Amino acid sequence: MFERNQKTIFVLDHTRYFSISSEQYISMDYLKGKPLPESPASSGSTPVAQTQLSKSLWTCAVESSIEYCRIVWDLFPGKKHVRFIVSDTAAHIVNTWSPSTQNMSHVSNAMMMVSVPSRSIPQSSDYSVIHGLRAAIEALAEPTDDQVQAAQAGCTKISNKGRVICITSARDNTSMKSLEDIFNTVLLQQNALAAPPGKKGLLIDHCHLVILNIVPLGIESLVTNRNLLEISPLLDVEIHTVNAPDISDKLLHLIMGHYDLASTTVTNIPMKEEQNANSSANYDVEILHERAAHTKVCGPDFTLPTSIKGGTSYETVTLKWCTPRGCGSADLQPCVGQYNVTPVDVTSRPSSCLINFLLNGRSVLLEVPRKTGTKTTSHMLSARGGEIFVHSLSIARSAMDEAPSINDGPGGRVSDYRIPELGQLLKMSRMVPLKAKPKSRISPGEHLWRRMPRYFPRTTNVTILFNLERQLTWLPHFLHLLVKEDMDKQEEVRCQQHIHELYKSASRGEMLPFSNTNNMRPKASKSKDQYRLFYRELEQLIQLNVQTPRHKNLLESLQSLRAAYGDVAGKSEAGVAHLRSYTESPLSPERLEPSSVGSTNSSSSLLKASKRRMSSSGQRSLLDMISNAERNQSSKRLDFSGRLCTPVGQTAKLYPDFGNKDKDAITPSLLQANLKDESIRS
Amino acid sequence: MPTIIALDASLSMLRPVPGRNEHTYQSLALKGIQHLLDNLTAAGKLEHLALVAYSTVCELKVDFTRDYEQIRQAIKKIEPMDKACLLTMLKTSVSLMATWGTQNLLQLVVFTDCGAGFGSTSIAAFLENYAGKQTEAEYAWLKALAHYHLNFICLGVHADLHFTRGAALHQQLLDSAALKGQLFMPKPLKTTENGTDVSHNKSELGRTALFELIERLCESSYKSTEVTLKCGHYFRLESPVLLWPPPKPYEQPATYGGEPTLRHIEQRIDVCGFLALSDIGSPATFSRHWVLAKLEREKPSRRSGSLTAAAKSPKLSLDTGNNPHFELEKLEQDIRDFFTKEPSKEAAEESGDDADVVVVKHTATPAQQEQQKDTLCVLLHGALKLENMAALVLLGEKWFGFMYAYSDIKKKSNFVLNILPPGSHVIPWLGDLELLGFPDDLAPGETASFPVRAERRSYSQSSVVWIRQASLQSDVQKVLRHAKKMPDKTQHFYKELNRIRRAALALGFVELLEALALLLEKECAQLTMNGSVSSECTLQLQHAATELRKTSNRDIKSTIVPLQKAAATSVENSPVAAAAPAAGAAAGYLYN
Repeated sequence: MFERNQKTIFVLDHTRYFSISSEQYISMDYLKGKPLPESPASSGSTPVAQTQLSKSLWTCAVESSIEYCRIVWDLFPGKKHVRFIVSDTAAHIVNTWSPSTQNMSHVSNAMMMVSVPSRSIPQSSDYSVIHGLRAAIEALAEPTDDQVQAAQAGCTKISNKGRVICITSARDNTSMKSLEDIFNTVLLQQNALAAPPGKKGLLIDHCHLVILNIVPLGIESLVTNRNLLEISPLLDVEIHTVNAPDISDKLLHLIMGHYDLASTTVTNIPMKEEQNANSSANYDVEILHERAAHTKVCGPDFTLPTSIKGGTSYETVTLKWCTPRGCGSADLQPCVGQYNVTPVDVTSRPSSCLINFLLNGRSVLLEVPRKTGTKTTSHMLSARGGEIFVHSLSIARSAMDEAPSINDGPGGRVSDYRIPELGQLLKMSRMVPLKAKPKSRISPGEHLWRRMPRYFPRTTNVTILFNLERQLTWLPHFLHLLVKEDMDKQEEVRCQQHIHELYKSASRGEMLPFSNTNNMRPKASKSKDQYRLFYRELEQLIQLNVQTPRHKNLLESLQSLRAAYGDVAGKSEAGVAHLRSYTESPLSPERLEPSSVGSTNSSSSLLKASKRRMSSSGQRSLLDMISNAERNQSSKRLDFSGRLCTPVGQTAKLYPDFGNKDKDAITPSLLQANLKDESIRS
Repeated sequence: MPTIIALDASLSMLRPVPGRNEHTYQSLALKGIQHLLDNLTAAGKLEHLALVAYSTVCELKVDFTRDYEQIRQAIKKIEPMDKACLLTMLKTSVSLMATWGTQNLLQLVVFTDCGAGFGSTSIAAFLENYAGKQTEAEYAWLKALAHYHLNFICLGVHADLHFTRGAALHQQLLDSAALKGQLFMPKPLKTTENGTDVSHNKSELGRTALFELIERLCESSYKSTEVTLKCGHYFRLESPVLLWPPPKPYEQPATYGGEPTLRHIEQRIDVCGFLALSDIGSPATFSRHWVLAKLEREKPSRRSGSLTAAAKSPKLSLDTGNNPHFELEKLEQDIRDFFTKEPSKEAAEESGDDADVVVVKHTATPAQQEQQKDTLCVLLHGALKLENMAALVLLGEKWFGFMYAYSDIKKKSNFVLNILPPGSHVIPWLGDLELLGFPDDLAPGETASFPVRAERRSYSQSSVVWIRQASLQSDVQKVLRHAKKMPDKTQHFYKELNRIRRAALALGFVELLEALALLLEKECAQLTMNGSVSSECTLQLQHAATELRKTSNRDIKSTIVPLQKAAATSVENSPVAAAAPAAGAAAGYLYN
């Protein structure tokens, strides 16, 4: 879990020696374009040679170590940590393991305050890199946020390895040896502190110390290079002597191994010339990423072509830029791995051209030649959210190639799926990133399902309602009201009106306006059927959406309407009863039994009555009529016993005698008294 | 799961099966292959199959194909040759399988009488040579073979010592080379019970026994994973589906050390919401699968019996007792009838099925009938394709995938599930997948959209890296270019100047400040000499040079500001004028 490259600490020697020049001179004169005409000594300052300048050893050390962490933080954002410690008379901590200080701007701002070591300070033994190395070991013992989390999660054995890269300058092998020894001793001491009684910080499992001994250009060092050597079970040390100007190259080589990186050179990128916008030339850009981006792409009949760039000693894989053919980053590629990338030379013009091309939302496929002579795109570069990734594409043959079409499979020949309707639903349930989990959410699935309709026939040939949605202008709104979770009184009235309207047009024998376009236009003889089915479907729809008493009211009026229409589904009776047991709670009012002789009579009489009233009293509202009919109807049946024995105005208690069986539940006298009021409310 | 069917073509296969005079081992093997093809055809002809016949040489008879008829034809023409050499065949299959890479699960089905081979090409000889040389290049092909799944259909009777010895050697080979595989052997007869004589009519190996082996093979190696896809509470928005190829378990490393665990996807896949395909992009996926509708289907009967029963069953399998959706299904059926029952009422009545099917009713194959049944897969596929969207699905705890309509080059469209690696942070630009919600979940006034932006990387901010001299020089050059164009470019000039100054201070590169001051003075002198420049410009250059040299300015907070001149700068420093060039400069830097 916590690998060695999890923690890296740079220890920068800030002693006086580092103020000297690296002896590599940068000319600024060429900038003039043409040589400056020998100016008369008007300006006073004569030395022309001063427009040459050189970096100090300190500048070389800082810029190369900052470049190292630029790469690390670009490639492993938030995952790999780098710290800086500056050492002179004491150790100065530049940043901590905290994510807020693990970024370029924090480090460079802090470095501004450190600045180049002063030349005027006296040479003294107080100035030493040892302070920094001690501090580095202490820093290794400090846990990162991830390690703290692991400890909180109850992990007892937290692995804790790290790497210390020390940029210093030693006189000879002897002083280098003593540096090693001191480091090893301090490491042991630190672990002793971390051991059980003290428990100060984490135990350091292993440390890899890289010492870069730097000298100005042209100076021979007495320190010999040494490859990785195991000093103790806890400590490996390697020593490299480099000229100051080459230290960046050295670190670039080292970082490849430290983080198992690989380099890819994108070749043949066509770019406009800087000077002449009309001509274009091909450029190469080298990028870094995890090695896995290469190894994941696999196929036996090809290998990634490699080459070695001038001045380096590591291999880079050369892949050819494919001119994107309207290939937006939207196209879904079969991708087996995605990795952050960063250009090796972030400020060069070709790099920034490629970067901007990608950041503007276009993606680039990279081509690799196959053994057979054909070419395959093995990788893709694309940017998302301001980050550039290399995608390793799957190039081997896939078992899913040459797919039979879904239209040849089950359900593939059905032509009347309600695809546009579902499409609308998808658009309405498009996800967005939130800052925190929504409070009401139980599970991600449940969160969506609540938004999906509770009744959604898959095809149009099994629904009457959704076939008529276009033709009956009031229907969509009605359906919308029906499924509202918080239906209010007014809406209920609207729905009741619609139901009644429907009843009226049914009794007038009007045909439902099925559209002519589909060949589903039914025959006139089926006019009765169509309403029956309409009612049945409506009833199912409400059944599935019963949320409030208002829905229940609607359901009841619909059911009585169905009964009135003589829709007695005798054979499905068992099913209905069965269904009810699923959908109804004990609180549900008792239902009409349209099959029983009595109620059939009563409902037909009810309809007769309502018809009569409709013709006679034009003044009454529909609501009055319906609710009156309802009242008549429900007065014939017994109300829920719990309500009957509860005084008016109070909420009926469910199972008041639960656990108290011997008591008599119903008081007959109350029953009569409350009957009327309650039935109106229902 | 690309599969090589390997048929043992040694002469020993021509022996008659003991007690079964009508069969030789080879004819039985052909029956077995046919039955395997029948089973795979019934499962949708999804597998790519190749056919090889092996003896001392191994010959590719049919290359990978979904056209099983080719194989049926080819097996008839296989002529037995000399002796069996299993290892030649295995080695050949490694090269045949090469095109499939490592993303696919590769399988081998070997029909053999388990001959052990002879002499140097025998299994025993190989095992002897191989011992202790596992790492040598000569045996590198075994590494590739170890990823395959080897299935041996072992044809033989237990009473035959050659067979049992050969089979044991096959097993030994699997074990010592660490190959994944299984031997399918007929069950031995219960010899003890009724003191059998082998010749007495039927032996343990026959057609039925063989078909049983094939069915065991299909059950263990060719079964699609069946899961339930749930996209809402309505029962028609929930449906059993098959995933093919079957998802492999994910080996999850333990969070903090310890043994890795194998994770399988859940039995129910929950759709959590929908995303535009353009927002998803091409994230790394663990595996890809087709999502196929699962319909209740009769098992392919061994004698290809009538499927009429299966065709009829869905219509009224409306078992009222335990079907909670009886009423809804009945309603759907009634409405369907309502729409479709037309003049030909009697005919429809009689068949009780869809009118448009009635015409072809009697000729419709089961597959055609299945095509006429509406499925959630096709519906969801259609809607996703229409809207160019994908459905985000939950496959397990903190394990996601997404389903979408995938069209190949031939415009054939399919419903595909991409399984992501477990974890909720696997697609950086979508953020934490557990934190995805709907616009209604946002606080009032809050907005959210994709992509989720990462912190700025070095390449998307104007980093300063002067490791190469050229980049330092070009930065300095830019300042000078602006210097020449003052007062128009005064803002640009100071912006660039401060950028360089800050970088120089961070790197402790104070030498650069002095050098820059000198350069500015020279520039100033030259411009004055040419006389082509405003006094404003010279004033600003001198001011800048002086400021650069001031040690008091070597502080993190200080910024060099343009020299304030009462008249000229009042216009220039007005907010509008200042803001515009600054923005231009930011963009200009990257491209110029």
